[in-house]
Amino acid sequence: MIRALLYLRGYSLLNLLRTRAQRLRQPKYLFGLIAGIAYFWFFFFRNFAGSGLPGRGAGVDPVQFIFAALAVLGLIRIASAWLAPTPKPSLDFSEAEIAFLFPAPATRRQLVHFKLLGTQITILLSSLLLTLLTRRGAMLGGNPVIHAVGWWLVLSLAHLHNLGAAFTVARLVEGGMSRTRRQLLVGGVITALIAGIAWGVWTSAPDASTWMAAWQEQHIGDPLGTAVLAAYIREVSGTGIIAWLLLPFRIALAPFFAPDTATFLKALGPALLLLAAHYFWVMRNAVSFEEASIAAAEKRAVLIAKLQAGQRPLSRGAPKARKPPFPLRPGGGWPEVAFLWKNLLSTHPWLGPRAFVPAALLAFMLATAIPPKLWFVPIIAAVYFVLLGPQLARQDLRSDLVNADLLKSYPLPGWRIVLGQLLAPAAILSGLLWLALLTVFVTSGRASGGPVWLTSPFRLSGLVCIAILIPPVCLLQLLVPNAGAVIFPSWAQTARPGRGGIEVMGQRLIFVAGQMMVLLAAVVPAGGFAVLAGFAASLTASPASAFVTGAVTLLLALGAEISLGIFWLGRRFERFDLSAESLK
Amino acid sequence: MIEVEGLTKRYGDFTAVNQLSFTVRPGEVLGLVGPNGAGKTSTLRSVAGIIPPNGGTIRIAGIDLAADPVGAKRRLAFFPDEPRLFDYLTVSQHLAFVARIYGVVDHEEIAAPLLEELELANKADALPGELSRGMKQKLAIACGLLHAPAVMFFDEPLTGLDPLGIRRMKDSILRRAHEGAAIVLSSHLLHLLEEVCSHVLILKQGTKIADGTIAEVSAQFAHGESGVSLEEIFMRATGGSET
Repeated sequence: MIRALLYLRGYSLLNLLRTRAQRLRQPKYLFGLIAGIAYFWFFFFRNFAGSGLPGRGAGVDPVQFIFAALAVLGLIRIASAWLAPTPKPSLDFSEAEIAFLFPAPATRRQLVHFKLLGTQITILLSSLLLTLLTRRGAMLGGNPVIHAVGWWLVLSLAHLHNLGAAFTVARLVEGGMSRTRRQLLVGGVITALIAGIAWGVWTSAPDASTWMAAWQEQHIGDPLGTAVLAAYIREVSGTGIIAWLLLPFRIALAPFFAPDTATFLKALGPALLLLAAHYFWVMRNAVSFEEASIAAAEKRAVLIAKLQAGQRPLSRGAPKARKPPFPLRPGGGWPEVAFLWKNLLSTHPWLGPRAFVPAALLAFMLATAIPPKLWFVPIIAAVYFVLLGPQLARQDLRSDLVNADLLKSYPLPGWRIVLGQLLAPAAILSGLLWLALLTVFVTSGRASGGPVWLTSPFRLSGLVCIAILIPPVCLLQLLVPNAGAVIFPSWAQTARPGRGGIEVMGQRLIFVAGQMMVLLAAVVPAGGFAVLAGFAASLTASPASAFVTGAVTLLLALGAEISLGIFWLGRRFERFDLSAESLK
Repeated sequence: MIEVEGLTKRYGDFTAVNQLSFTVRPGEVLGLVGPNGAGKTSTLRSVAGIIPPNGGTIRIAGIDLAADPVGAKRRLAFFPDEPRLFDYLTVSQHLAFVARIYGVVDHEEIAAPLLEELELANKADALPGELSRGMKQKLAIACGLLHAPAVMFFDEPLTGLDPLGIRRMKDSILRRAHEGAAIVLSSHLLHLLEEVCSHVLILKQGTKIADGTIAEVSAQFAHGESGVSLEEIFMRATGGSET
């Protein structure tokens, strides 16, 4: 039997690789592969053979800090596996595996082995990928082999522990333990753990206020005070009862963080023993998993079908009927509003207009609470939204491309459909950027110092101008991926989640790069006009007035570009014929 | 009224529909038949304004589709083989959305009896995911009928329906035709043509083989024999093979 299972695993992998190789005949995958490889080369492999010496600054050892932080995270993750275990443990069998293997003359033990073997392939690939990621800049020291084996150990242990916990809980339930008793037992253990940690923090670091004061001071070359923070976490996690609680995690992580081969080999023994103990624990407790596996496979099949149909990737559950974001009057022109209404309905309620005021209040409170030295954090968030927002907010033509026939049967010119489809993601991204802007404005207002010209009127006029400019910039950003979906639908379709591979990642990179290039091409000339207009105004008016003049010019220029873009894309959509495109 | 003259649709070098002409008057139901790949769906999509044809003229209720696509689309409804619905809109929200798109101000007065007729009244707050295949089809039909179209196009209207659903779909098509709508439907199911269609158009490789009432087309291929079934007529007309 095990030979048959190995045959299935081996040939499935071989055919997967063969299929991936064959699809490289299509230019969209070939160019995607080139872009993906280039990305990995420039960001990871170039530094792969680095010196391996960890960077050390301001007296902090980042390795020790990360070691401790990961151990704490591991503790939390393992605790959650026991706190909220799956009542009926399932193994990730596909529907085909269930159809062929469950009725086959295989023991439960053989099926578990088959699944563990399959998971090992995923874990090995993940280990290689994570090694590339963590080797970037050789920040963590060690060498690639040590890191790869370290990751394999950590991931294998995490998987076996989750499975073992689920099996154990299920066995307890099967043995007659009531739900209440089980919850009391788990709750008691978790409470003891939390109490132990609290006791450890209290006894080993009683001067937390001193640490806090030290962190709030200005640190030259380390504005966030990470050195103080790291030292505090290191001290707390390495002493008293917490050190004992974290011991298994330190054993699991020790090979990964070994700086040299000798230390690695020394740490490998205990880690392998821990792994073997987990394996025997899982095999000894393996209980009935078939029913839950079938249910899980069905859920997964539905999710994959949804992903391949371009539907919401983040939602695993069935959609629920919701209250509309605003009342939609049936008549009254402006059918674009209907698309806004429909697309807002398809997204999370907390991205709708009703959530904006509470979110703004929250952002304001947050901005008044966070230390002024962190004023740049919302700027980082804003940059993130600008760069990646259009790829994430897809409640537009991209998600409705499968309904192109229906949309084209509506009595609307193409530009009105395109404009309507762009409104929802533009509104969502604008709202998020406005919140980030509000936070920056409030936080920076509390920061001391700054240039003389940065007066309150200037900051206020800047706030208003940027706030007005945000929606057109978002619309411009969204035009690019939507144009990509209409002009190159086969590229846009394969760039959806659910179809993996380095070449698909490369396709996404090409799209993001194209988006940035078009944005630059649109904003730079418009920005040039704005600077000229602002400069001319500054000769006769105040800096704030010049700023407003520049912003209004930019707004008009962007408005003209967006109008042309939407009209052009509308014409393309009118001629769009999905049936003529290759969607393979 | 549907008037099609010299319709041509090409995909690259491949001609899907070649110089096709036909007319459907109010109250008539034209059945579009042909082997797989004969150009039925391309024809339906072209005359519904979904894909642009490469040649020919199409008039919907007297409005030239190329010159005034928006005006023409206000008068038509297209029903694809698979009901295209929005996952996150309930039945009533679908109707509200379509009402705004078509500017149907009194949609609630129209929608209520429509939902009753289609047995969807108690499903007003249900999402498409909670509906059966037949219910989804009914919702798609309700959305299409909301603006009282004068022209209707059905692409394989019986796909996936159970016997009761098939019966109701046939009744619904006939009722709209009796109310004066001009209807075109494409189907592989020849019994549907016999029961519902007043006229039939046989396509093969994008070209019209026959066009007329069922009696006229039967006579054309019966070669004087009596009692020849429509299936036999179809086989004789098309050669019985895929194109």
